[in-house]
Amino acid sequence: MSAERVAVTGATGYLGSLFASAFQNDGHNVVALTRSKPTDQTMTWRRFELGETPDAALFEGVDVLVHSAWDLGNSSASDAWQRNVVGSRRLINAAHVAGVKKVIFISSMSAYTGTTQTYGLMKLAVERTALDLHDVVVRPGLVYGDDAGGMAGTLRKIAGLPVWPRFGHAKLFLAHADDVASALVRITDDYDRFASHVIGLANPERVDLSTILTSVSSDGRTKTSLPVPSTLVMTGLRVVEKARVPLPFRSDSLLGLIKATDVLPGQDVLSAAGITFRGLPR
Amino acid sequence: MDIVIVGSGPSAAAVCLALQDNPDITLTVLDLGGELEADRVASRSGLASSDPTGWDPVQVAHLSTPPKPEAPGAIPRKQIYGSNFPFADMGQLQGVAAKGSANDLVVSGAYGGFSNTWGAQVMPYSTGTFRTWPISRDDLEPHYRAILRHIPFSGEADDLEEAFPLFGTPSHLPTVSERTRRVLSRYEKNRIGARRHGVTAGHARLALRGSDCRLCGLCMTGCPYELIYSASQTFDELRRSGRVRYHSGVRVHRVEETSDGSSIVHATSATGGGAVSFTADRVFLCAGAIGTTRIVAGSLGITDTTITLEESAQFMMPFLSLRPVKHVTQDGEFTLNQFNLFINFDSDGKDASLVHCYPYNDIMMASLPSIATAGPLEAVTKLGLRHVTVGLGYLPSWASPQPTLRLGGRPNEGELPSITVATKDNDATAPMLKNVISRLRRAGRSLDLYPIPGQTKLSGAAKSYHYGGSFPHHASPSDQFSSDLFGRVAGLRNVHLVDASVFPTVPATTFTLTIMANAHRIASALAAGSLS
Repeated sequence: MSAERVAVTGATGYLGSLFASAFQNDGHNVVALTRSKPTDQTMTWRRFELGETPDAALFEGVDVLVHSAWDLGNSSASDAWQRNVVGSRRLINAAHVAGVKKVIFISSMSAYTGTTQTYGLMKLAVERTALDLHDVVVRPGLVYGDDAGGMAGTLRKIAGLPVWPRFGHAKLFLAHADDVASALVRITDDYDRFASHVIGLANPERVDLSTILTSVSSDGRTKTSLPVPSTLVMTGLRVVEKARVPLPFRSDSLLGLIKATDVLPGQDVLSAAGITFRGLPR
Repeated sequence: MDIVIVGSGPSAAAVCLALQDNPDITLTVLDLGGELEADRVASRSGLASSDPTGWDPVQVAHLSTPPKPEAPGAIPRKQIYGSNFPFADMGQLQGVAAKGSANDLVVSGAYGGFSNTWGAQVMPYSTGTFRTWPISRDDLEPHYRAILRHIPFSGEADDLEEAFPLFGTPSHLPTVSERTRRVLSRYEKNRIGARRHGVTAGHARLALRGSDCRLCGLCMTGCPYELIYSASQTFDELRRSGRVRYHSGVRVHRVEETSDGSSIVHATSATGGGAVSFTADRVFLCAGAIGTTRIVAGSLGITDTTITLEESAQFMMPFLSLRPVKHVTQDGEFTLNQFNLFINFDSDGKDASLVHCYPYNDIMMASLPSIATAGPLEAVTKLGLRHVTVGLGYLPSWASPQPTLRLGGRPNEGELPSITVATKDNDATAPMLKNVISRLRRAGRSLDLYPIPGQTKLSGAAKSYHYGGSFPHHASPSDQFSSDLFGRVAGLRNVHLVDASVFPTVPATTFTLTIMANAHRIASALAAGSLS
């Protein structure tokens, strides 16, 4: 595959940086579309802030847009919608107007029909726009690896507690960071096959919370878990959030954990392309 | 190339718009051509020549008599300028009967067809709708855009764009009512709460010259300034420019194809009853789904058969809000649909319902029993109406009762085949309606808009006027009751059905824009020489 110029929004975030490195390692030229200049000097930098009207120059010479930026800041729901959903639509539309040939929207496993998670509902709204424009939508599972961020990072902290929480029958799709990054590069190379599809990037076997905590804990041992009344915890977290007290774990994220999807979309397309995801080491 | 177009409704207008710039094409329109009575035209002109503040109340009353419902709580049949001319029998209703609660006024003989009295909503269909169609929304997009460039278009950018892109640059809507402002402002703050239940809210999108609106409140009984689009406006322009030959008072009953490849359109004069015929290279049937079905049946000799249609069933749903609005009046307001509630059960807008919400207008008061609107109870009723919004909702055809058309025996020459409209129940209707009500009830807090329990009423068969599907498009038509991608049925190769008779399904979302876009697509293919 010849080298392409790949613009990555959120290139300094956890997933964005994974993608940026993977594209660079595959010989592509990466343009970081971020608020501030990345420390990695090997990437070209163009200033971009999600929610702002994209400048036409943003996409000059760009072949591929990978949109992974998302603002999880503590703004009002209305502001968060404007910044993330309306901002993402503007970005995607601007990319098409500028003639960017391949657009990949990084969505989430929380985005499924029937989700009640704020984050999932927002991602789902952007998915619709991307799919109508025949872009590729990917939904990474819970991404784990050596430097896990996001939810996996939080779970690593939870694994350090003396007793683990147990939320009903919560099960999640997992994906190793290296597999997710490599899959995205391959999807970009084989773009037409994936266009207009929603692709779940994860191992197809769902894993329960206790197994996940065991695998991310420093000593690899399973600890005693106690059932936690999720409604009570949710209410507590929401009350604290209303009081604008910063928390390491948001109620919306907890909702994503206890009401996770059991559908992994696009597996037929992934299989046809020979893309697989490793399971958790036993 | 000589083209004959049968009818003057939205699909006929769209065909003409697609072909008008081709100098090699002549356009002849055959129409029954019923028009508003002369005295009402005079009253309308009188009002249109001045500002609402100076209007003569007698003329206003003459033009805005609110229609009465057939039964308490039923949706009254809309009148326009105090007239029922869009529903009048110009000969097109001869031989039409209905069983039970089914509608028998199913074909319009009016110049402009039913677009004289429509709700003027113009949104495209969702992408999901086309999952079961042999064409995609991408195929229709340029035609949606072309139509929206030609007709007046008012609306706003909002969350409904997600499923229903604007496909153009609308003018702003006129100032919306206090209730609409409140609901949409609450939605802006609480959209996640509403969307958790699959409910999206947004402004109405209307075929309306919103920037010229004088807020006289008469939209629902006929805009004196004629700011609401009717297909007759397109034909007025085409006739003024001499681009179409328009024949009024003509009832087409049959098309015959000859061995030399031309078509003969057989008709009778609606006034004298004499036979007339027109020769064409191509014929576009635009008589409305049921009108077109009768002409095709007459042309192909289809008799003693039952044809099942697809209809998006209509329901009336009154809502209650806890916070009242300040006033109950239509004065100083525009009274068309102002906001929509889209209830989505899937990810791409196929399994969905749409409710058009209307602010107060005098038809609401007129629909109530007289005991509630006069005497001591009037004040109480008005107090109650400050909390009320009326929604007109739709279910998709796959969850709606299906109208059936029973075709009678062979008609006499010069007559259309007789039909009896009836209805076939659908087991999916009650569960879906219940689901829609439940979703809206749960989203009620986010909008301060709650469906009033037990008051949602489903209309009878063919009463939504959103029906079609007698000869649905099919990629490879295999029987007599399907059409190819250009609306041609077996046995009629140069005749194109371009109204909703060719729709494979009828979703719950707005209907007419897609009819126009699809007709425009088919006619454009002809103009481009892509039809063999």
